[in-house]
Amino acid sequence: MMQLTATNLTKSYHQHEVVNIEKVAFGAVGLEGLIGPNGAGKSTLMGLLTRRIAPSSGDIWLSTDAGDTPLNPLLAHQVARFGLIKTNQRIQGFDSLTIRDSLRLALTPPKTEGLGSLLSNERDTDEVEEKVSAYVEAFPFTDPNGHARSGGEKKLVDILRCLIAEPKLLLMDEPTAGLPDDITRRVMDMVREKVVAGTMRVVVVEHDLPLIWEYCDYVHFLSEGSILFEGKPDEVKSNRVVAEKYMGV
Amino acid sequence: MDYLIFSLSLMLIYIGLAQLLHVQFGLAGIPNFGVVGFWGIGLYGTGVLYVQFGVPLLLAIVVASVLCAALAYLLAHLILQRSGQAILAATLAFAAIVATLVITEKDLTGGVQGLGTIAFPLGDLDARNIVYLGILIVLVGALMWASARLRDSRLGRVLVAIRDNEELAASLGKDTAASKRTIFAITCGLMGVLGGLTAPLHQFLVPYLLAPSLTFAVWIALVLGGKGHNLGAVIGVFVTFGLFDILVETYAPVPAEQAILLPNFKLFCYGVLLVGIIMFRPTGLLGEDAPRVRRRSGSGRVRDIAETGAE
Repeated sequence: MMQLTATNLTKSYHQHEVVNIEKVAFGAVGLEGLIGPNGAGKSTLMGLLTRRIAPSSGDIWLSTDAGDTPLNPLLAHQVARFGLIKTNQRIQGFDSLTIRDSLRLALTPPKTEGLGSLLSNERDTDEVEEKVSAYVEAFPFTDPNGHARSGGEKKLVDILRCLIAEPKLLLMDEPTAGLPDDITRRVMDMVREKVVAGTMRVVVVEHDLPLIWEYCDYVHFLSEGSILFEGKPDEVKSNRVVAEKYMGV
Repeated sequence: MDYLIFSLSLMLIYIGLAQLLHVQFGLAGIPNFGVVGFWGIGLYGTGVLYVQFGVPLLLAIVVASVLCAALAYLLAHLILQRSGQAILAATLAFAAIVATLVITEKDLTGGVQGLGTIAFPLGDLDARNIVYLGILIVLVGALMWASARLRDSRLGRVLVAIRDNEELAASLGKDTAASKRTIFAITCGLMGVLGGLTAPLHQFLVPYLLAPSLTFAVWIALVLGGKGHNLGAVIGVFVTFGLFDILVETYAPVPAEQAILLPNFKLFCYGVLLVGIIMFRPTGLLGEDAPRVRRRSGSGRVRDIAETGAE
């Protein structure tokens, strides 16, 4: 499996330290949650873990069966090819691609997308079509053969695109933002199914605590830029520091 | 008659260039404003090899085009990962450099005095002009077929994804920079081929041929016809070059004293057409084109999550 490990990771803006983490590892258990109050540095940490933000100091390592690789020198597509993919908090999409095309794109291995693909008469194999259909038909899209219509549908396509790409480690940045409740649950059920099947591990960043308690096996609590506590959901729920800093008890 | 065939041959070259620009800009989203530069490397490369070194015409065209593709690949490394505006300025500058080098490197290119003569091929044929026109039709037809294949292929889908949201495409594991470089080098190389094929049409090459007006003509044609449509280039060139340069300039009964105004009138008409298109039909006359692939119907339950779904 794949692990993402950060050591002595800091990020400062104008001498103001936003993130200062001695050590944190993701990907050790099936489904992990990352929670924390507003301004705790969750988004910054997510940005650091996906190389969108450069750290002020510290290292992030991508560990696979093949060995450890420092994350920061990698290019975006190389990170994805290692098996680390992220869903987006803000809506991202390909405006000209239909829902199905968007999923087909994510599922198609890059090595078959060279100039040689001009020679093949079938753009997508039956296997690809079947998988795409299974994903599209599992959700109530307004126009399943057309484009995503609403913000919610676009967000859903973004998540499905990441799931169908079969990452080893999936980072989900606020999956509930912009999605109706029942759809979120269906997505999370699908995610849990895959985690239980052992095909991938997941880190969820969320404000929706009930969702975290219900689905996660392990929770990291981030506050004022550091991991203050981590443990099983029950331990985190009953922890005094977490209660004080976050749940306002 | 000969002049008409010459004009039609030139029109086919324009269609080919606009078609390649459709691939670069319409599919992959690369704003190449240096069309005349790549075409010019093919044109002058072929001319120099043929006139100064005695290389046979066909081989000269091939060598010049390969050189053009190689230069485009190097240029792609330098500029394609920058913003659209930077690419636009850099390609425009590239074309200006090519034009300047043609003027300053007198020993090779003949400078402003010109380079000649490139003999028209197929010398022993009576109808050689028409045969050459036929060859151009076949080649440009093949180009259009290939670009339709590209649009419908997996690579074409990656290019569209890059155009829409490159960062997202890269985050899904697509090597967007490499895909763009490859497509840019190949299409620029093909612009070089079209340049090489133009050399025997003009027979005598002068630096004036490398003025940026060719780039703009091709761009106007593509925007008019529809940059996202595979046939946009053809329609666009017919409406601009075909209508004005061939029909009006050659056949319209304009009195001699007014004929001098025609080029300006042409530019005026281009301008009006362009403004009209951009205001009323921004996707061009033909609009957008979607890949042709077999459709399989999905039978999912349909329910609306549109209202509840907005962020």
